[in-house]
Amino acid sequence: MNAPLYSLRQVRQEYHGRLALDLDELDVPERSILGLTGHNGSGKSTLLRILAFLEDPVSGSVTYNGRPAGTRDSALRREVTLLTQEPYLLKRSVLGNVAYGLRLRGERDPALAEAALDMVGLAPENFSLRSWRDLSGGEAQRVALAARLALRPRVLLLDEPTNNLDRESADRIKDAALAARDAWGATLVLVSHDLPWLTTVADRVLTMADGRVLRHP
Amino acid sequence: MDYLIQGIVQAFTLIFSGDPETFSAVWATLASSGLAMVVILALGLPLGFVLGHADFPGRGAARTLVDTMLSLPTVVVGLLVYALLTRRGPLGDWDLLFSIPGISMGLAILGLPVVMALTATAVEGLDRRLGLTLRTLGATPGQILATTLWEARFSLALAAVAAFGRVATEVGIAMMVGGNIKWQTRTITTAIALETNKGQFALGMALGVILLGIALLVNLAVAGLKRLARE
Repeated sequence: MNAPLYSLRQVRQEYHGRLALDLDELDVPERSILGLTGHNGSGKSTLLRILAFLEDPVSGSVTYNGRPAGTRDSALRREVTLLTQEPYLLKRSVLGNVAYGLRLRGERDPALAEAALDMVGLAPENFSLRSWRDLSGGEAQRVALAARLALRPRVLLLDEPTNNLDRESADRIKDAALAARDAWGATLVLVSHDLPWLTTVADRVLTMADGRVLRHP
Repeated sequence: MDYLIQGIVQAFTLIFSGDPETFSAVWATLASSGLAMVVILALGLPLGFVLGHADFPGRGAARTLVDTMLSLPTVVVGLLVYALLTRRGPLGDWDLLFSIPGISMGLAILGLPVVMALTATAVEGLDRRLGLTLRTLGATPGQILATTLWEARFSLALAAVAAFGRVATEVGIAMMVGGNIKWQTRTITTAIALETNKGQFALGMALGVILLGIALLVNLAVAGLKRLARE
């Protein structure tokens, strides 16, 4: 077993006094795939936002790569990226969207963005110049994933990435996510209601309810 | 009635013959408005972003204040800037009274609330997922500001055009702060007022036609930008 990339201890999160997350202990080894499942409102998305350093818990400790970590360390958000349930595309071309995060990092080689588009099954020659408004829901989701894969993140967090998608788009997204682990050793945390998929690909699957982990095999 | 028709004919003659007095006033208008717009956009866009995006104590009061300033009477602004720039005023040493930069200062005060209010509204109207998405892609606060303003670019251009329409067509500030000095600070609006008082309808109408042309262009731009912003 690899050393934990994330270690969470006694982590609690509340919104307006309502408990959203209450985790005693969670370790996520590097290069592993963690699956999270559970009903809506069970705390999965809250956990992902904490893992993505988008919000800090009200109590408890989060360590990343052996060091205490949180939202103040904005450099960590360059290693960790989250694909939300309904990702937003910028009002620009497909290539502009996929290359956006790269440009933030000073990288202007379009080949990286085009390779990411290939990973999600969107041929760059057909999609690069297409406008954001000319995409189907499944294509938009794949473009959003490509924008994150292009960054070659150390951690890729996916929040119900295949919800309401057609079969082909869902399969492409699943394949691309796994390819990230195989290609550069990304650590994956997958939130999904697709339990058969999670149990097939994940090293470990946790079921959550009311902010707590029900099963911790 | 004849003098009106004669005035219109003479107006177009002045315009198409390139009458220096007419175009001096046009230049003064464009120079003072253009300089003011630089200041208005440099301050109004970031301040409007903060007003529409950030959550800080007193935000509601600040928004109410900015909205109230949308209906600032131009003569009140003119009076305020005059008081600041006059020899006895706190900024008297700047020697800006009766100058184009002096007029621009007043116009900037007039146009700033327009850009701030419309920018805040545009930012508030953006998809709430935008900020989260930018953070998940590793954007810094400065990059979030720049990208957010770019996402709202058509609405912001609309704000700029609306502010330009307000500052280019006002008369109170240009009259009080500029002093209506021929060849120097006489703008389109102050020239119209003066020439009409003198009974010189032709020049007044020529300038009026140009002002209407500017207003038409502004409104066409507003209509086009509104359509783009909705898409």
